[in-house]
Amino acid sequence: MNPSLVNVLLMAPALVLLAIVFAWPLLDSAWLSTQASSVLTGLAPLANDGANWQRLLGDARFWQDAASTLRFAGVSVGLELGLGLAMALVLHRPGRGRGWLRALALLPWALPTTVLALGWRWIYNDPYGPLNAILKAFGMAPYGFLTTPSSTWLFTVIADVWKTTPFVALLLLAGLQSIPAELEESLVLEGASPGQILRRLTLPLLRPWISLALLFRLAQALGVFDLVQVLSRGGPAGSTESLALYAYHNAMRFLDFGYSATLVIATFLLLVLLTACGWLLLRRRPLEISR
Amino acid sequence: MIRSMPEPFSPIPGLRIEGLSRRLGERSLLADLNLEVGPGECLALLGPSGCGKTTTLRLLAGLDPASCGRILLDGDDITRQDAGKRRVAMVFQSYALYPHLSVADNLALGLRIRGMAAKERDSRIASVLELLQLGELSLRRPAQLSGGQRQRVALARALLRQPRLVLLDEPMSNLDAQLREELRPELRRLLCGREQPVVYVTHDQPEAMGMADRIAVLRDGQLQQGGSARELYERPANRFVAAFLGRPAINLWPAAAGRQLGLRPEHLRPVPAGGLPARVQRREWWGNQQLFWLESAQGELRMLLPAEQELPESLQLGWQSEHEHWFDSHSGDRLPAP
Amino acid sequence: MARTGERRRPGRSQRPAWAALVLGLLLILLPAALLARPVAAATTVRVLMPSPFVDATASLVADFNRDHPQLQVEVARGPLDTEAMSDLAIGGLLLGDTPYDLLMMDVSWTAKYAAAGWLMPLEGLLGDNALEAMVPGAREGNAFGGHLWRMPLNGDTGLLYWRTDLMAAPPGNIVELEAVARQLQAEGKVRWGYVWQGRPYVGLSCVMLEMIHAFGGQWWQPGSGRAGGQTQLDSAGAIAAADWLVHLVRTGVSPEAVADFAENEALQLFAAGDAAFLRNWPYAWREIERGGGPVVGKVGVTTVVSAPGHSSGGTLGTWGLSLLAGSPHPREAAEVIRWLTGPETQKALVLDQGYAPTWASLYEDPELKLKHPLLAVQRQALEQGPEVRPLTPLYAQLSDLLQRQVNGLLTTDGTAAGAMGKAQTQSAVLIESAAGEHTASGPLLKQAVSKSSHASGRLQAQRRQGVA
Repeated sequence: MNPSLVNVLLMAPALVLLAIVFAWPLLDSAWLSTQASSVLTGLAPLANDGANWQRLLGDARFWQDAASTLRFAGVSVGLELGLGLAMALVLHRPGRGRGWLRALALLPWALPTTVLALGWRWIYNDPYGPLNAILKAFGMAPYGFLTTPSSTWLFTVIADVWKTTPFVALLLLAGLQSIPAELEESLVLEGASPGQILRRLTLPLLRPWISLALLFRLAQALGVFDLVQVLSRGGPAGSTESLALYAYHNAMRFLDFGYSATLVIATFLLLVLLTACGWLLLRRRPLEISR
Repeated sequence: MIRSMPEPFSPIPGLRIEGLSRRLGERSLLADLNLEVGPGECLALLGPSGCGKTTTLRLLAGLDPASCGRILLDGDDITRQDAGKRRVAMVFQSYALYPHLSVADNLALGLRIRGMAAKERDSRIASVLELLQLGELSLRRPAQLSGGQRQRVALARALLRQPRLVLLDEPMSNLDAQLREELRPELRRLLCGREQPVVYVTHDQPEAMGMADRIAVLRDGQLQQGGSARELYERPANRFVAAFLGRPAINLWPAAAGRQLGLRPEHLRPVPAGGLPARVQRREWWGNQQLFWLESAQGELRMLLPAEQELPESLQLGWQSEHEHWFDSHSGDRLPAP
Repeated sequence: MARTGERRRPGRSQRPAWAALVLGLLLILLPAALLARPVAAATTVRVLMPSPFVDATASLVADFNRDHPQLQVEVARGPLDTEAMSDLAIGGLLLGDTPYDLLMMDVSWTAKYAAAGWLMPLEGLLGDNALEAMVPGAREGNAFGGHLWRMPLNGDTGLLYWRTDLMAAPPGNIVELEAVARQLQAEGKVRWGYVWQGRPYVGLSCVMLEMIHAFGGQWWQPGSGRAGGQTQLDSAGAIAAADWLVHLVRTGVSPEAVADFAENEALQLFAAGDAAFLRNWPYAWREIERGGGPVVGKVGVTTVVSAPGHSSGGTLGTWGLSLLAGSPHPREAAEVIRWLTGPETQKALVLDQGYAPTWASLYEDPELKLKHPLLAVQRQALEQGPEVRPLTPLYAQLSDLLQRQVNGLLTTDGTAAGAMGKAQTQSAVLIESAAGEHTASGPLLKQAVSKSSHASGRLQAQRRQGVA
């Protein structure tokens, strides 16, 4: 048989699956974003001359959510990369019980987000949560962790970082283990300090793994939904609402599918734009050490 | 090796290893190693895998800590010194080139770390690139180089450090046999006869014999014998050294009365009469010489002969008594001829 | 066996992308559901209910199935949370192929579900006077656009819980409530005065609905138009309501954490003895009594209070059964509604579970009166005119934007007038834009859709009976 035909045939099931779970919903949403389809139209789609997109441009809530989603993704992914790298470096060191430590470190990642978010909700509970119990033990007044926009945002980021840092750490650990030990030893013989080894050798060689973790996490964080939904419901006052949550509200609560589809497509475009930027930045060959 | 006694108060030049040991838990990786390597001398550590040769190298480099013993380099005790301060260069078996850096940057990185001025750095790199004929490869990355070129870059990087000691861990094991043979003289030219002692680890006996001034044979973390290739070949200290050195391997008679005779294949000769009767089983014709596999009362024997010599199917074998090696059949130690 | 395959409603071609997930789930679940069907030729009516109702009705359903071999009721367990329940139901409905005949619905869903064309009108099956024998409050929120869509099973309203050990009688109005709370706080008897639901979710809308009314305002003015009315969130009463709530938080009568309190968080604090007053639903009574905490036996329940000179009304929070469009046997399903929401079932539920009934006769029942002290309060709450959530398909949006503004007021600086002004503006824009949506015939379309689905449901039912 023609080899290219064989290739096509072999790939066909995967392509069909991709088309069903990815391309089709996306195309459907793109089409739906040009339609009025809400509870007021009896859910029937009716072309509305781009009114959804006009509404989007003037929708302060969309822009606020976009900004807060970007801020959330940027800060939490940044923190996760930093902490994940530190964690990977610690886990990479040989030592007793390392296997257990690795399994333990992965636990937060293995937990379902909703379970975890409920757990954090309990931890942050005012006034009965463990954190407030600690404050009380030190004679301090209970603190409303989830009652002001800034602290809710901060503690949402902390919960997200806690959950996904192990994922980043695991990826980077795999990267670290792919670096032959002799490279580091060779640098040790040159008299390099641990910091120099990290900067001159480990980080440049980890770059593909860091890019991978960054792209994965960025895509996930920009679509953050369950954590926010359970932890703060986007509150207080919508300050932590993510684009995904807004799209979900429009679809499942408001039954405004046309506008929800518009939000989905807008979020998707934003994601494509950002990951493309990230990819272009990271695809570049590793830096030559400057002369 | 016998060397002149040092002057009082002047440092003993070269490398001196005293009672060096390394244990890992219950396991002894290296036991009580004593060796000396003079300036410009090349010592090969030879032995099968797991014999402790790479362990020794890592102890010398400072990558692993010694359990006891001392390492003296030009009279300084460096046993507890940080690896980075020893000024020891090492060529790893995998070459350990930094895959993200060009050849030039691979060479420059170490100098940068030591904070060498750019001008001096560049001139040094230029000269070593020239010495190793790597000039036109300087902008390539390791992945774009052949095995031999990588080895030369690794070597260049080691020499560039102007080390007090050069260590090489199986530097040719990743190359094909022909290239290995070609590179041997070049490697010798570059490494030996300089200021520093060179310690060269290999499991390849011809390579050790071709490269090194002296050879130390290791087995199970124990030094078996040290000396020139010729000393080791002609007067092996024990059965292991005798068997490990020399291809085809030495013929060993079955033990008798606690003693065991060893005879190298090239020392057996057909004799008209009065010898050991044997029958030819198989012949390997190598071009420059030929190997005969013989069946005799002493078991299967190997005999090396000039290529053109013909043999009858049945023959008698003889040898000169000075070529006899006698070993204690139990301990394997060399015994005087009976 | 291909019943579910036939249940496709005409006029519903649209399949939103997010339903893909649900599709995947159904692909897995449906074969299992089909395999699990009983072999008997009896008609099976499937009901989706929130988890607590499943437990509450389990033995009643078992009895019913034993007594009616030809009409079997199969109950599917939904989630406990109202919104999760809504997600599950909508997820199935969006595909147009829901395996259920009946859905247990929150009162606030009625207009939205009816407008979406997911329900069948009940008046033709249960009669035009189906609700007549119910207490007045329980009749509310079941009809929309001239049709009956839902039969209520319980008569929950918002209630005020107070501590009998700390005061002789409950406060008569909010001024008294605040004064008593402050005094008890000053005396160190409770940490907090009054706890309620301030988290941005449906609960905050319920609190606001009560409070606006308690200050003489109203959230929703029913009227004409696509949305079916107008909001009045910038009225003096509405602003005063928001102002009072934020005043409670800023002066420490309510904890700042109230801005993140749902029903359970508020209940938890009250049950621990840390608050003098609690706003909650009837279920809280059972929870407190079962919980065995420090306030057991020291809790009184009364109707919610208003500002002096105004009338009060607790938010109506009933659950009821609706018939899903496309049910292949609407008559049998209506039979099940009649039974499950009927007086006998409700009486059993009052006795077993302490549910508030909707039938007026049950409030006169001496046995129930004796066993359930809450009944008198609940009757009063239902009779004095409970507050019904704006009856509009846009309720979810209106509720959402009000929650955002009020929750923002509770958690940041700002004035009640500013926040309510914004809520009013946004509501008006939403209602305005709804009026401008391109539709074929406005509300008529909606009715057309529901009628056609009604008709097609009947048609399919007849066809199936013909086949059977």
